[in-house]
Amino acid sequence: MTSVSIHDTGALFQIAEPTDQRRAQRRPGRGIGIDLGTTNSLVALAPHGAAPRVLRDSSGSGLVPSVVAYTTDPPLVGRAAQALQAEHPGQVISSVKRLMGRGLSDIHFAHPYHLSEETPGLLRIDIGSPPGSQVGSPPGSSGEAQSRRVTPTEVSAAILRELKLRAEAELGEPCDGAVITVPAYFDEAQRQATRDAGRIAGLQVYRLLAEPTAAALAYGLDRGGEGLFAVYDLGGGTFDISILRLHKGVFQVLATGGDSALGGDDFDRALAAHLLQRSGVGEPSRFQLDAARIAARAAKERLTGETATRVALPGLSELEVTRGEFEALIEPLAQRTLRACRQALKDAGLRAPELDGVVLVGGSTRVPKIRELVAETFKRPPLADIDPDEVVAWGAAIQADILSGSAREGVTLLDVVPLSLGLETMGGIVEKIIPRNATIPIAARQVFTNYAEHQTGMVIHVVQGERELARDCRSLARFDLKGIPRLPPSMARVEVTFQLDADALLTVSARELMTGVRQSVEVKPTYGLSEAEVDRLVMESLDHAGDDYARRNAAEARVELGRVVLALRTAVTEVGHLRELLPEDERARLEAALAAADAAMADPDAVADPLNRARTALEKVSEPFARRRMERALNAGMAGKSLHDIERALADEDALQEKRAGHTPELLDPEEP
Amino acid sequence: MPSLTVTSRAAKIMRDQLARRGTPQACIRLGIRGGGCTGYSYLFEFDDKPPRANDLVVEQDGVRVVVDPKSLFYLDGTEVDFETGIRGHGFKFKNPNTKDACGCGESISF
Repeated sequence: MTSVSIHDTGALFQIAEPTDQRRAQRRPGRGIGIDLGTTNSLVALAPHGAAPRVLRDSSGSGLVPSVVAYTTDPPLVGRAAQALQAEHPGQVISSVKRLMGRGLSDIHFAHPYHLSEETPGLLRIDIGSPPGSQVGSPPGSSGEAQSRRVTPTEVSAAILRELKLRAEAELGEPCDGAVITVPAYFDEAQRQATRDAGRIAGLQVYRLLAEPTAAALAYGLDRGGEGLFAVYDLGGGTFDISILRLHKGVFQVLATGGDSALGGDDFDRALAAHLLQRSGVGEPSRFQLDAARIAARAAKERLTGETATRVALPGLSELEVTRGEFEALIEPLAQRTLRACRQALKDAGLRAPELDGVVLVGGSTRVPKIRELVAETFKRPPLADIDPDEVVAWGAAIQADILSGSAREGVTLLDVVPLSLGLETMGGIVEKIIPRNATIPIAARQVFTNYAEHQTGMVIHVVQGERELARDCRSLARFDLKGIPRLPPSMARVEVTFQLDADALLTVSARELMTGVRQSVEVKPTYGLSEAEVDRLVMESLDHAGDDYARRNAAEARVELGRVVLALRTAVTEVGHLRELLPEDERARLEAALAAADAAMADPDAVADPLNRARTALEKVSEPFARRRMERALNAGMAGKSLHDIERALADEDALQEKRAGHTPELLDPEEP
Repeated sequence: MPSLTVTSRAAKIMRDQLARRGTPQACIRLGIRGGGCTGYSYLFEFDDKPPRANDLVVEQDGVRVVVDPKSLFYLDGTEVDFETGIRGHGFKFKNPNTKDACGCGESISF
């Protein structure tokens, strides 16, 4: 037993109702999937295991233009907003996704907005005076003050609110939560901004899902448990390629690539230029260009089903365009996407034949030539049965249905954590971060520290189970956090967060608080874990309770003794040559105690008692030395200092001690990682 | 052999509370779990299931208090009592194993 003193705080307890009666509140079938796109957004439902269905407006369109018009209050969203764009360019916002989570210094592309940044990293878009106010009010009046600003997050929230309303009209009741898709390359700030937008729109964001992962889920590619996939996403204005690895039921993005200025619009432009050239129009007017582009777009779409089509440009004679002509025009553009594909494969360390599937996303992948070239590059026919405009929303809807608590293809959500989740710490001891039987979803955070000064990395070993030593638990994941600054023992601070979301996907992230270096991993702790296995592991921990307790104490005693030995050796090396600090006879006794400690630690099976005795002996022998060092440091420190300074230094020291002690899990709101 | 004691006064209150809850035969589970501001905290709740094979069952005046074998290592020698005083009424755990306790007394360290 490691205890010494008893603090009787006199806390009084009441008997509580059993923990397992507090169940997570879920509303099966009321989760919605949202593809929040740069140009268009979609919302889909897949309630109670049904096939996904994109919600359409009265004209049959599932695409809601990602455009918000602040010409009215509340703002207009979608097609109605788009119709006002030409008339009110300053108050109608489109493509806001490109501004999400960005600061002024990140914006390197052309845009028509007046942006400002009052708080660093938080953009605001000027949208002019409120509706109904006098336009062109005299200077000095409230005109300036009335100018309104919105954040990109608020604009996205307006789009999400519209999609939520569309879903609720269909459901006939409030929706419970949403899965929102984001590009695989979105960073933490962009993800957080998207999450915030969901919350502002009144949605519980179950999870943000990477767009390529959503597409893979739509095709049910997760069912195999393992696999390698490519997702080729060619939209109107952007191209993205992602290489995914499915490992133990979790998708990881191995590599991403693409071109943020390449898409179907470029195909239209190329065909339009070709049509004008064939018509002998050398210098087209703005009107001719626009008309040619609209005609080219329609022709492009017809050439998906036909091998030739006729195009009539206003005021010019009709032309016939063949699919071959069109294909020759877009070939250089298509080759650019394929180069990005080969690079992404290379970045992922893979060759095309190693892939298990290729998924097509984005309207431009309807072009037959694109399908052909993709098949050639990846050496297999791509998956293209699901409408490429809707496939991402489908995947989001399936995930949302699962997270709402619906039973789906054998997926059942757990209400409580079946086995504790923790980390291996010094000495192979398990520090439990999320205890068994905690209600899912849950998040917890704990701060860990360095053991030695030369330690500039930390191995984060995530384990599952009830046993006290890591070697007796299930190993879930392991990663290195590198780049920890060289600091004295116990001074580095690494914050580790465990976040377990509704379908038991665990995200472990570690962050060094001084440098901000960060690393994370996602695992499914329940993957391949049967109920019988859980029972066995729990019973095992009860059977080994006694041994485990002794072994944990021994491991803790060893770590503690090691720490003291290391600290003393460092101190002796630093100041031990100063006779007034460490007289010869005392030095000899100290060396003997250090040797005894080494001897105690040399026995790998040593139990806690001898290790603790060695430590107590060492602390006793070194006590005068420690006191003299402390006095010397204080004298040096206090010379020329006022009482005020000393008091402040002591307060700082207290705060530091408190920080060092920061070693216990802190439960978090699962919504806030 | 690890042990736990329940005072008669505590047992009487437990019996009353079990009766009022309509489950005079239920157990009362005492345990240790992770969490709280200094690491571990007490678990103290009604348990409608029968004791498990490995549980320590302490019977006092007809009331069964059960402890799982793992928690028992941290509870060995604890006396469960009931106190009434200016700070209110409640059960009190006199646990000889505690090293530190936080201000609220609900978290303990060993």
